[in-house]
Amino acid sequence: MEPALIEWREDFRIGLPEVDQEHRELIDAINRLHRELVVGASIGRVTGALGDIHAAISSHFALEEKDMQALHYAEFEAHKREHERLLDEILDIIDDVTASGSYDPQVLSSRLADWFTGHFRTFDARLHRWLAARH
Amino acid sequence: MSLRGLLRVPFDGLDRFCARAFPPAWNPMAQLGAIGWFLFWIVTVSGIYLYVFFDTGVAGTWRSIEAITHDQWWAGGVMRSLHRYASDAMVVMVLVHLSREWAMDRMRGNHWFAWATGVPLILFIYVCGITGYWLVWDARAQYVAVASAQLLDALPIFGEPIGRNFLDQASVSDRFFTLMVYLHIAAPLLMLLFMWIHIARHARAKVAPARGLGAVILLTLTALSLAWPALSEPPADLDRMPEAVPLDWFYLGAYPVMEKWGAAAVWLGLAGLFALLWLLPWLPPRRTPPAAKVDLGNCNGCARCFADCPFGAISLAPRSDGRSYEQEAVVHPEQCMACGICVGSCPTATPMRSAPDFVAGIELPDRLLAALRREVQAAASGLAGDDRVIVFACEHGAAADAAGGNAARIALPCVGMLPPPFMDWILSRGLADGVMLAGCAAGDCHFRLGDRWTAERIAGQRDPWLRERVPRERIGVSWAARGDRGQREADLAAFRARLPALPAMARGEKRERAPARPFARRAWPKPLQWGAWAGVFGALAFGTGALASWPDLRLLQPDEAVISLSLRHAAHTRVECQPLTPEELMKLKPNMRRQVGCPRQRWPVYVELLRDGFVLYQGQHQPAGLWNDGPSTVLERIVVPAGRQALTVRLRDSGREQGFDHERRIEADLAPAQNFVIEFRGGQWSLRP
Repeated sequence: MEPALIEWREDFRIGLPEVDQEHRELIDAINRLHRELVVGASIGRVTGALGDIHAAISSHFALEEKDMQALHYAEFEAHKREHERLLDEILDIIDDVTASGSYDPQVLSSRLADWFTGHFRTFDARLHRWLAARH
Repeated sequence: MSLRGLLRVPFDGLDRFCARAFPPAWNPMAQLGAIGWFLFWIVTVSGIYLYVFFDTGVAGTWRSIEAITHDQWWAGGVMRSLHRYASDAMVVMVLVHLSREWAMDRMRGNHWFAWATGVPLILFIYVCGITGYWLVWDARAQYVAVASAQLLDALPIFGEPIGRNFLDQASVSDRFFTLMVYLHIAAPLLMLLFMWIHIARHARAKVAPARGLGAVILLTLTALSLAWPALSEPPADLDRMPEAVPLDWFYLGAYPVMEKWGAAAVWLGLAGLFALLWLLPWLPPRRTPPAAKVDLGNCNGCARCFADCPFGAISLAPRSDGRSYEQEAVVHPEQCMACGICVGSCPTATPMRSAPDFVAGIELPDRLLAALRREVQAAASGLAGDDRVIVFACEHGAAADAAGGNAARIALPCVGMLPPPFMDWILSRGLADGVMLAGCAAGDCHFRLGDRWTAERIAGQRDPWLRERVPRERIGVSWAARGDRGQREADLAAFRARLPALPAMARGEKRERAPARPFARRAWPKPLQWGAWAGVFGALAFGTGALASWPDLRLLQPDEAVISLSLRHAAHTRVECQPLTPEELMKLKPNMRRQVGCPRQRWPVYVELLRDGFVLYQGQHQPAGLWNDGPSTVLERIVVPAGRQALTVRLRDSGREQGFDHERRIEADLAPAQNFVIEFRGGQWSLRP
């Protein structure tokens, strides 16, 4: 079986249980899509899966934003803008796949992996540190 | 056409007029309630000022108000006039507000709450207004006192007629005045409480009008106060009856009705009117669309619907399905108006999801998003060319019929129901060249806030944000009231005309996250707008000022006088006290055994007043009390020609069939407007003054 695209790591943990749970579920969804990409799923299937991922991430970000605001997170504004940029990016990926009518599984997979882990390494890590420092 | 349909006609016209004459933020039709709040504060502040200089007491009241009015006309005088005119304007506001909500059908179903708590506010306004006129203690106040007492005495509430407190100048007491002042302060406080309840179910209720509009209203009322100051009549003198009083028809309009048809007619009319008004929300036809529904499988408790619901119908509750989230959204169906604004806010509400029958975290059972997506696809397949438009039309604004073929209309309860990803999806998948959102007039969403949230979501100021790359020129946001089809048609035509010239939606292109470009408002040229404002506010000021003290209510002809016939007298008991027989005594309990039995029932009092041999008044008056053992009371005011006359007044209080127990002949010479009091007191007829 194809190895997972993204492995859950302990340092992904933010410290908000409901957010961490959704992070795991999102990683699972992206890994599932990755396995489909590798075996050459149809365009409709790929865009549909990306649409589902977009909806899931939208609501995940919404929840994370609610928690950040409730905690008066200092860097909320920047983090929120980054969320919106990321959401736009998935839609851009969907547009690209739809418009070109084809995709390169490796390119698309790595784009997704970068997209996901990039956010983790920077913004979520900052939130994690901020939350940890509060206690 | 239904009554409501008829009522809509003038309001559609008014909406169109306001759309041409006022900037959207200033549209008075969209903030009638807020104007009411503003007027309430004007009345409160001016009232507090007046209270500082007000002397409560029969003797000092009138003089203190004269001093306020004239010695400091530039402050106290203006305050007094503002106090009156803002109160009158409040009645106008309430009338327009109430009939508009009725016309818009915004009292049925779950709207009942604001309606049912608003109608009682009218009663408070009237208690405030009538007690206020009372406090001036001038000739008009005297009439208000006497007539209000007559109205209240017609109700079977008070054991003794209140009117006897205003029989003549000697019977008015300072204590009654203190009670009036207390009522005049307590009633507005209670009213404020009810005003707060009235808007309790409205999230972000608008309680202040646009600043500029408020300023214009205050200026108008101040100008009216200076040009046409509120003045007192001559001081009250209960020994005379004023020939005529200038009436404030906003507050005292029921009194002429009473003069003509009697107090019972007024009460019946008012009770009927209020019962009808109050029950209106529950009368057929009833329309209650099913409330929004949460799908827990798609809800993570992100709180966006909770933040956007205009009616506070959504709350967040601890998670109930065992998933690891802390909260979930809960809809309170009794508060939900089924506007769908929550659906538009849900992050899972995107047509890019793969399941054919996907469900968002919150949906309207009557308008599911999966079906909406199919509807859009079907509509799009019927369009061709480079100006294809899909119109999402709110069911309450101006009609948005897709004239000209190349536009498809899809109806929604509110444009705020459309999730931004739908706009994105239609444009990025090329289903249409433009998406038009056709809502109610700006700032006047039928459900509240739908227009604002929509604009803010597109501009990236409110969740969910519309994607940056979606070209805003391809989103047409048209705000037009139901009566303003001209604006809608112009917007649609302008939108379709601009689409072919727009560049194709290029990928990768960076754009500003911007609001949708508004359409040109079909406003009148500036001078005409100013003229319209001057006309509206001038007419309101003139109407308020005029009806506040004109036309007069004529009470007496110049050569007439009044006889007030008053008594409070306990007639003889029906049965004399009699010694009890031993058998009767034995029936009583030991501690109740008295030698003499005295049944308490009294005879009625029969009274006659004759003038020059003709009967002016006759009446039989039952004793008061549950056991008919109290006094009988009479209070009658009879208008007679002034001049010399022979009067006979007599009464029967011993149950006799013939003759009278107390009789007096009076030779009187009544001056015009004199209040001649004949009272039975201390066992004999006496005269005052």
